[in-house]
Amino acid sequence: MSEPQRVDPGNRAVRRILGDAVVRHALSRIGLYVFAGVMLVFFALPLLWLVLTPFSRTPAYQITAPSFTLHNFRVLLDNPFALRSIGNSLILAGGTAVLAVVFAGTAAYALSRVRLPGRDALLYAILLLSSIVTGTAAMVPIFLMLFQLNMIDNRLALVLVLTGGLLPSAMFILKDFMDSVPKSYEESARVFGASPLQILRHVVAPVVRPGLATIAVWAIVQVWGNFLLPYILLHDQNKQPAAVIMYTFYDEGGTPNFALISTFSLLYSVPVVVAYLIVNRRYGFRFQGGIKG
Amino acid sequence: MATIELAALEKTYPGGVRAVDGLSLTIGDGEFFALLGPSGCGKTTLLRTIAGLEEATGGSLSIGEREVTRLAPGQRDVAMVFQDYALFPHMTVLDNIAYPLRIKRVARAARHEKARQTGDGLELAELMARRPAELSGGQQQRVALARAVVAHPSAFLFDEPLSNLDARLRLSARTFLKRLQRELGVTTIFVTHDQAEALAMADRIAVMEAGRIRQVGTPREVFGRPANTFVANFIGSTPMNLLPATVTDHRLLLAAGSLPAPSGLGARREVTVGIRPEYLDFSATAVPDALSGTVGIVEHLGTSSLVTLETDGGPIGVVVPEEAEPAAGSTGWAVPRPGRVLLYDNETGDLLPT
Amino acid sequence: MAGLGTGRAVLFVVPALALIAAFLVFPALWTLYLGVLKYDLAGSNAAAPQFVGLGNYTDALTDPRFANSVLLTLAFVGLSAVLGQNGLGFLLAATLRRAVGWVRMLVNGLVLLSWILPGTVVVFLWQALLDRNGGTLNALLDTPGAAWTLDHPLATIVVFNIWRGTAFSMLLYSAALDAVPTSHLETARLYGSGPLRTFRDVVLPRIRGHILTNTLLITLWTFNDFTPYMLTGGGPEHRSETLPVYVYRMSIEGGQLGFGSAISLIMLVINLVIALFYLRLLRRRGG
Ligand SMILES: Nc1ncnc2c1ncn2[C@@H]1O[C@H](COP(=O)(O)OP(=O)(O)OP(=O)(O)O)[C@@H](O)[C@H]1O
Ligand SMILES: [Mg+2]
Repeated sequence: MSEPQRVDPGNRAVRRILGDAVVRHALSRIGLYVFAGVMLVFFALPLLWLVLTPFSRTPAYQITAPSFTLHNFRVLLDNPFALRSIGNSLILAGGTAVLAVVFAGTAAYALSRVRLPGRDALLYAILLLSSIVTGTAAMVPIFLMLFQLNMIDNRLALVLVLTGGLLPSAMFILKDFMDSVPKSYEESARVFGASPLQILRHVVAPVVRPGLATIAVWAIVQVWGNFLLPYILLHDQNKQPAAVIMYTFYDEGGTPNFALISTFSLLYSVPVVVAYLIVNRRYGFRFQGGIKG
Repeated sequence: MATIELAALEKTYPGGVRAVDGLSLTIGDGEFFALLGPSGCGKTTLLRTIAGLEEATGGSLSIGEREVTRLAPGQRDVAMVFQDYALFPHMTVLDNIAYPLRIKRVARAARHEKARQTGDGLELAELMARRPAELSGGQQQRVALARAVVAHPSAFLFDEPLSNLDARLRLSARTFLKRLQRELGVTTIFVTHDQAEALAMADRIAVMEAGRIRQVGTPREVFGRPANTFVANFIGSTPMNLLPATVTDHRLLLAAGSLPAPSGLGARREVTVGIRPEYLDFSATAVPDALSGTVGIVEHLGTSSLVTLETDGGPIGVVVPEEAEPAAGSTGWAVPRPGRVLLYDNETGDLLPT
Repeated sequence: MAGLGTGRAVLFVVPALALIAAFLVFPALWTLYLGVLKYDLAGSNAAAPQFVGLGNYTDALTDPRFANSVLLTLAFVGLSAVLGQNGLGFLLAATLRRAVGWVRMLVNGLVLLSWILPGTVVVFLWQALLDRNGGTLNALLDTPGAAWTLDHPLATIVVFNIWRGTAFSMLLYSAALDAVPTSHLETARLYGSGPLRTFRDVVLPRIRGHILTNTLLITLWTFNDFTPYMLTGGGPEHRSETLPVYVYRMSIEGGQLGFGSAISLIMLVINLVIALFYLRLLRRRGG
């Protein structure tokens, strides 16, 4: 955009090149906005249903012109399973986040401070492990293990399974954070007589808080959306999280309860969007390969 | 409040580096003691071993009658100020200063009160609500000091606390630190590689080389009578003249002239003569018992100048008052002041008794 | 070791390692063992599993449904991840930076939204979009009654997965392109090089590593993605039955745990190969 001022407009060759450039520029702008428009439609189209239907008087697959009502939310509140499942999701996500932060945090701290031969190899090995032993690839043994231990429908067991899957990446990311804490902070506290746990609580944890928060939010989002593991490990509808319970919102004929599903989807989606906005605002998008997996 | 006693203290790192090599030393109660030496000589390691951050691999250490060699750092009743200050970035100045009291389970109100008092004494009253990142280097240093002071330890351990300050601030911080230590009367060990800093501040100085102590003494002793050529070389803003000489009957023969020899050295032996440039007087006319040469470079030091005399036995530095500067190329004589000629053994480098 | 002490350090590491051992290492090893058994969830083989050696593997390799599933998975991963998400993500990252602020924010926001919403929700949204009768797509295209999920199950899950996962590639390529120094681009423009040339000579060499990283990661994730099951249930007639869906239907639904394990192990090995590639890459760039 700034070239036109820089060249001498009296020069004809330059003027011709400039003319070409202007045309090319205009064409590329048009192309750009056509592309942006197509993308806008492609990505927005499926989402329309989510914003319109909860407030529609006639909720159905069909998107209807706005006819505002809050009646559908009444249906949502009256359903005994809907709100409970959100609560269950909160328990699973919260429990997993707490365990992942605590266990990955302490482990990453110890691994960052202790000089063990083969420590880095160990970290890489478990990271490798977590990327290959995915929920889908390991569903049979995990299902069978909890089945034989009589732990189907045990939420704590599910939380432990979920935590185990998230720990390697969490440890890997947190170790970087721990490594960046100057040793003199801890040594200074140590000379004043702080115990290792006090040092962890007073000094290390606050300093790496952005890292811990990242892991917590990441764990919550992962568990919040996880379908497969709760689907195969929790069969009691009273314990199922939101991801699974939606599949019960159909009548005997297999017709979806649109009022319920639309409002429930909205309610179920809001927390992840909020979580994402918070993380994005506070920490920016920290690009950690493998953070979503 | 406490004497510190090292007995054959030793620290060998796992890799095999012996950073502290059997040190024995007593630091008196309330003494301001400087550990001085070139980079890598083990000063930090010694300090950290005293603090308990490194475990001694041999010998013993006691602080105020109490044997602490195997105690955890927190049980030794010392406070340490790190080179990077190690202020906690997430805490305000007030919380940083109060931290040692928090560990000692002092109630919140009481420890804030105490921290405020200490901070006032160190001119930090206005800064209590800020975080370390919002402070200048000098202010951070004072917060670190306040945090050490508030702990009321029986000893302070400082690892180059002034090295992160700019030259001018360092001078005022020196005075400040020394006054603070005087007022509190707390035994203090101070690590530095800046000999001027050590000379200016310390009651006594230990000069270290490769994990061993080469000399312990007051600044005056260390400057005036370095115990060996290593210390002689290391101490002083202008290096000491070290010149080869032969002892004959009552004379020291140097390439640039001869000087009267102290008695009792025995005849015909090779020695090294050490004379500080500050202890040489310049004469433009020939005088007896002097070393002569041609005036080479003249460096201005402010109120005086360092004149280099090019002699047959190599260059000799002489400090002359600013009004008495000789012209380059003229001939000059350097006259040692009485009692300032030191002789060092050529083999061991140690000072010969005179 | 100083300060923490070996004992406490071990204490700090043990809970994490125990969970990893229990829920990652053990399942992987157990899969190895289960894969050689004839082991069913119910029936005579439930109580006393029978050793069948490589029987499950030979069964799998001769099962046309398995071959079908492998081919489908290849097509699914290749079309939706390697080509779809990769290409669209790069295009979005490269072009949107030149659009005015609000257009960029809006498109970015929508792409991200499709990535972060819970899987169950987006699956239902797509069912609403594609529904035969009331679906938005049929209304828009004026093709009432077109049954997209039944007539084009593979295309459905491919397009769905592009929609769902492009955000990651877009973010990664955005970050990568941000790191290309403007001075390089300007130098290229100064010498009169056109956009395609500039891309080839200046941009591509700088983001080659990112392209590889991105491709490996999205390949791994797409390969293990279970969402197609939620959209099409693997049907109709196994026409969208990717490997994860196949494993689920055989073992959890069908109760053939031994056979399912054998397929799982094959999946684990494929994951391992992809992950090893990726780690080699990480390490080379880290070191
Ligand atoms: N953690 C360690 N492991 C092994 N060797 C070490 C360690 N820390 C220091 N050393 C070695 O011990 C010796 C003394 O180091 P130290 O840090 O005590 O020197 P210093 O006198 O404080 O030097 P400086 O003035 O540069 O700070 C050096 O040779 C150093 O390489
Ligand atoms: Mg040091």
